[in-house]
Amino acid sequence: MTSKLDLLQTLSGHKGIAWNVSWHPMGKIFASCGEDKIIKLFSKEGQAWSVKTMLVDGHQRTIREVAWSPCGNFLASASFDGTTAIWDKKNGQFECNATLEGHENEVKSVAWSPSGQLLATCGRDKSVWIWEVAGDDEYVCEAVLNAHNQDVKKVAWHPSAEILASASYDNTVKVYKEDQVESDWSCVATLESHESTVWSLAFDKTGERLATCSADNTVKIWKEYKPNNDVGVMVPEGDSVWKCICTLSGYHSRCVYDVAWCHSTGLIATASGDDIIRIFKETDDSNPDAPTFDLVCKKYNAHSQDVNCVKWNPTGNNELISCSDDGEIKIWKFSEE
Amino acid sequence: MASRFSGALQLTDLDDFITPSQECIKPVKIEKTKSKTGAKIKIGEDGYFDLSTGTEQKLQKVEITLADCLACSGCITSAESVLVTKQSQEELLRVLSERKYTDSHGVSRDVGLVVISLSPQPILSLAARYKLSPDDTTKKLAGFFKQLGADLVLDMTVAEDLSLLEAQQEFIERYNNHQDDPSGKHLPMLASSCPGWVCYAEKTHGNFILPYISSTKSPQQIMGSLVKQQLCRQRELSAGSIYHVTVMPCYDKKLEASREDFYSDVLACHDVDCVITAIELEQMLSNRDLSLADVNGVELDRVWGEEAGIRRHVGSGSGGYADHVLMYAARQLFGEEVQPVYKNLRGTEYYPASRRNPDFREVTLEREGTVLLRFAIANGFRNIQNLVQKLKRGKSPYHYVEVMACPSGCLNGGAQVRPSQGESTKERVGELETLYRGLSLAEPERNAAVARLYSEWLGGAGSDKAAAILHTKYHELEKQDIALNIKW
Repeated sequence: MTSKLDLLQTLSGHKGIAWNVSWHPMGKIFASCGEDKIIKLFSKEGQAWSVKTMLVDGHQRTIREVAWSPCGNFLASASFDGTTAIWDKKNGQFECNATLEGHENEVKSVAWSPSGQLLATCGRDKSVWIWEVAGDDEYVCEAVLNAHNQDVKKVAWHPSAEILASASYDNTVKVYKEDQVESDWSCVATLESHESTVWSLAFDKTGERLATCSADNTVKIWKEYKPNNDVGVMVPEGDSVWKCICTLSGYHSRCVYDVAWCHSTGLIATASGDDIIRIFKETDDSNPDAPTFDLVCKKYNAHSQDVNCVKWNPTGNNELISCSDDGEIKIWKFSEE
Repeated sequence: MASRFSGALQLTDLDDFITPSQECIKPVKIEKTKSKTGAKIKIGEDGYFDLSTGTEQKLQKVEITLADCLACSGCITSAESVLVTKQSQEELLRVLSERKYTDSHGVSRDVGLVVISLSPQPILSLAARYKLSPDDTTKKLAGFFKQLGADLVLDMTVAEDLSLLEAQQEFIERYNNHQDDPSGKHLPMLASSCPGWVCYAEKTHGNFILPYISSTKSPQQIMGSLVKQQLCRQRELSAGSIYHVTVMPCYDKKLEASREDFYSDVLACHDVDCVITAIELEQMLSNRDLSLADVNGVELDRVWGEEAGIRRHVGSGSGGYADHVLMYAARQLFGEEVQPVYKNLRGTEYYPASRRNPDFREVTLEREGTVLLRFAIANGFRNIQNLVQKLKRGKSPYHYVEVMACPSGCLNGGAQVRPSQGESTKERVGELETLYRGLSLAEPERNAAVARLYSEWLGGAGSDKAAAILHTKYHELEKQDIALNIKW
């Protein structure tokens, strides 16, 4: 291994489990959430990160995920209390100005579309919801998608188009698009190959490839093929077909809970139940239709318990944040030697 | 395969409506005398034995009926399978051949008369599927059912008319009550004919939303009352000896038919015993290598002196509730005649979304710039959500909303025949819309058969008997978390 991950700082994140972190699009602020029903906003003062704001009383139960809007003015939080809260600081300080209700029970994930006009949520009720930002503190439900037959763990948007992907306890990933003719959203692809729960997923910067991670201890890379593609992949129906072009197996010894694909460097980071953070790099001679990845860094005991989430700094400065069941949030710097 | 239930019911998990659970009362309900020591039960190879009386007494095998399930709230078996076996084409064919059925309470009965009631949406779906005119389709369906052994095949226009008239009257009462008591939950009145919507509301929004839902029974259940309470007397039969089948556009109607509210203790039977959908009829025909076109048509039966043939109503293909209620209310309350013209809510104050949403439309009655009545049609689960959220935030501007769980309403019901290869859902629905517009018009106020039923059977419009027979109640479904219900 030729590279290293240096710990810059350890932050006491949350009482109980620290579930998730989200970088502000400018990369100078991040938000975290956890079992303690609190959202914390951190920023850097000199060399050190510290808590700037705590958002309390927004949710009745565990907050499972937070997500900054692309404009950086809104923060969405998904909670086991069945609601998704939208926070903004129009009035000077952050407050919850809209609550999205509709899920039957636990909301597990929330994600903003690249334009910031749409919001996706998913949860234990097996459904994926798409909401449209419809004006000041107004959100309307655009679609309720019942494609999965189990708990939906994660939603992620394509980096530039209005294409949504979701990962589920039913071992599959589904891809959704809006049909312009029917003016309704529907599932356009089902990605089947994982042998257990798919915990998370991340698009690369082009949106043509998708990385998924699973309780089957693997990470898979998928590629979208359009009709009449050069390599002769059949597209029997619809606009495209997603094919698994690479499986990273034998690297993780426990569940892989999260995967982050840096849109600047192309590095893939994974968070695992074996308390390790791993960094994968695509090889120089990688075949685009059967890519190869090297494990370039393996950080043992990154946390003392399950690592739940990893996120690359969006500015591409190789900073990585992780958080864990141990309640801690860690900031790392990746470097190649 | 796409579900034949509406999105609303898929989300809420049918298991919450129908479910034998491990806490199910049924398996442990044993007829026995009081014992001081408690029961000892031995599990043998061929069943359970109660030892508490000293001698081995074989316990009856547990049979979980639909009624047991509906009374319960947590379950280990798939609710859908319980419901769908009880109301399947196989069950219908069995009853038609054996002339015997076991009702949802486990009572076995001889069948004296099999009555089939046809609603217009599945007929149009089959007309499109077999490229027949709606009129031919109706006759051929009647012929098919008669071949299978049905005694009477009726059309449901009478029940639809009664449902519309009752809904119109109910709106006027609610409007007047609202004037006297604006904080009481009288308005908006929300349509009740879609069981997907009603069951979702009962389970998820409970007592907050139920007072708004119209108490008027759906056409299917009014037809049930007509058949089991009026027709049975006319024919001098016991209600339980009539096996009543309705032909419907969605599976949700099976759940509606199974509700305990539509079981009469006095008559000891359900109003509707079996619901069969368009997609199942297509299967029944294809199982016999038949096209509907091959079947000999017969005329529909007419038991209340009604006009023959299926009809359309003014307004939506879901039954025209919003239009009928609006036109009646405009006339009764404001002396205005209106022809409702809907507008898409895109970009309006009430629906600021930029996207097209053809399933949320509204219509207003205005006088000198003042809105007197504001009505809407909200189809599909996403619009149910948006409506409910508006109500919760006190931002609903509506007096009445026609709510249907399926996008595009009942013509696009979950159990309508799927579009053919290369045809989009939208195109198929468009085709059914055109067929629907081509039907001859039913006018509830001018239906002589309906007028006769009011005066001769119900003791006049607005009578206690009419209220008892044509209206129903809704119940909040209490959530119970039992171990097996927890899903990770």
